[in-house]
Amino acid sequence: MAGVNKSLTHAKNDTMKKGIYLMIMLAGAGLSCANAQSSVLDLGVRLQKTVNLYSENGIAVSYSDKGLLADRLYFGASYATSRLGTAFHSNAIKQDNYLVSAAWFFRRDHVIRPFVRANGGYFSASYGGKIFDVLPHSSPLLSSDLGISFQTGLPVKIATSLGYNFITGNGLSGPGTLFPVFYQLTVSWNLFDHAKINRHERLARKLKL
Amino acid sequence: MKKILLAAIIITAFAACKKNPVIPAADLGGGQVFDPSVYNPAKYLVSAANPTPNASDALKPVIIACHGYSATTFEWDEFRAWSAGRTDYFISQVLLAGHGTTYADFKAATWHNWQASIAAEYNTLVSEGYKNINFAASSTSCPLILDMIHAGFFNNTGTTVHIFLVDPIIIPADKNLSLIGILGPMLGYITSNNAPGEEKYYYHYRPQESLQQLQDVLNVARNELQDGFTLPKNVYLKVYKSIKDPTADPVSAVLIYNGIKTYNGGHIGIDLINSNIHVFTRLSLVPDVTARDKANQVYAFNDITTQIFQ
Repeated sequence: MAGVNKSLTHAKNDTMKKGIYLMIMLAGAGLSCANAQSSVLDLGVRLQKTVNLYSENGIAVSYSDKGLLADRLYFGASYATSRLGTAFHSNAIKQDNYLVSAAWFFRRDHVIRPFVRANGGYFSASYGGKIFDVLPHSSPLLSSDLGISFQTGLPVKIATSLGYNFITGNGLSGPGTLFPVFYQLTVSWNLFDHAKINRHERLARKLKL
Repeated sequence: MKKILLAAIIITAFAACKKNPVIPAADLGGGQVFDPSVYNPAKYLVSAANPTPNASDALKPVIIACHGYSATTFEWDEFRAWSAGRTDYFISQVLLAGHGTTYADFKAATWHNWQASIAAEYNTLVSEGYKNINFAASSTSCPLILDMIHAGFFNNTGTTVHIFLVDPIIIPADKNLSLIGILGPMLGYITSNNAPGEEKYYYHYRPQESLQQLQDVLNVARNELQDGFTLPKNVYLKVYKSIKDPTADPVSAVLIYNGIKTYNGGHIGIDLINSNIHVFTRLSLVPDVTARDKANQVYAFNDITTQIFQ
């Protein structure tokens, strides 16, 4: 009997907890809706490594507009360079990757979100001597990457992905250090996030998880 | 999740198990065609041909000519033919371990084994009394020798060692090689598009194990060049590199040029060759050879055989 009472108490507590969450959610509905309609501007650091070649690091920015598939469709730009990676204080080739991208993030309002991204841009390498001007040292970039984004309790997003460059060097054309497969990690901060909204959002997510 | 993992392991194991090619008997690797240096080393190796040089011969330059990945001594046959009648230097053509014999040998050899073949001929010549030993290396032999320099192999040499690198590979033209560690076990081997006649001198089937060895030595050399090193006092290094190369990306020359300094802190010698042939010094069996290709070959042979006397 005591066990039944205990169970009932637990059940009551659970119901109360859910009720409180629900109330908070409802109370914050306006804010949550506002957040759902607000834009996202992530600014962060991009750490990239090409399989069997260089690490290239830099910055990344991505933006999702409240009026255009908010928090699902992201447009971005990034700059990654071996100057801040393998070529820092070494004889590795100094090369720069300038990318613009469009990404689709699945599972909106979840902490862990898969995403797919298409990238285009420009690659440039510096060989450090006029004698090598005859060799190809720039190229368009065309790549795609698949990954997972993790939304932390802070307005910080951690996104990691595996990508494939469709354009690479082949000895006859294209820069020789443009390789096919890379992986990257981007840690970014949502500049449009507001602490209050974020608190309610986190509580809401606890229920969705 | 466990089931998926198990299925992946079984599929991978199955894919890896079925990979042993059937090689025609007439081709290299099939068990019947071998590099001629295997039967007649004295025709190819100076150490075997003249193990007790007189005082004059001991002072003449010996050029150890070593070939690239999957190739044989054939790669430097034209240099020997071009040098016919010259008595002021010797050519010693080294066959790298695992090459020029069987698919099983090729599969089993590591890049350290390949390198050991070069070092063995050098050490034997030194022990026999030769005083002027030099190198002409093509393709994969180049990172092997660069690693020897980096490891201090030539630090105590008493006389000048001239090292000529022809179409060195540090970065492969085929960037899929960078994925060999992932894809290799699934593929087992890959095939190459040899020109007609080349099947007797170049392996057609390339086991993924040997390709992983190739990737390993390229990474080793690239990292050593990234860190940078200086040539020992008596070592002279020159690079000849085709500006278009379907096997060894021309950017390999950039990495060598930027990664190595001479003993005095200067740049190494470099010639960018207007060619689209990998190992432009070997034209035999290469389709559609032009007059420019022949001129490039003769230029390199002349330059090498002039430099060794300076």
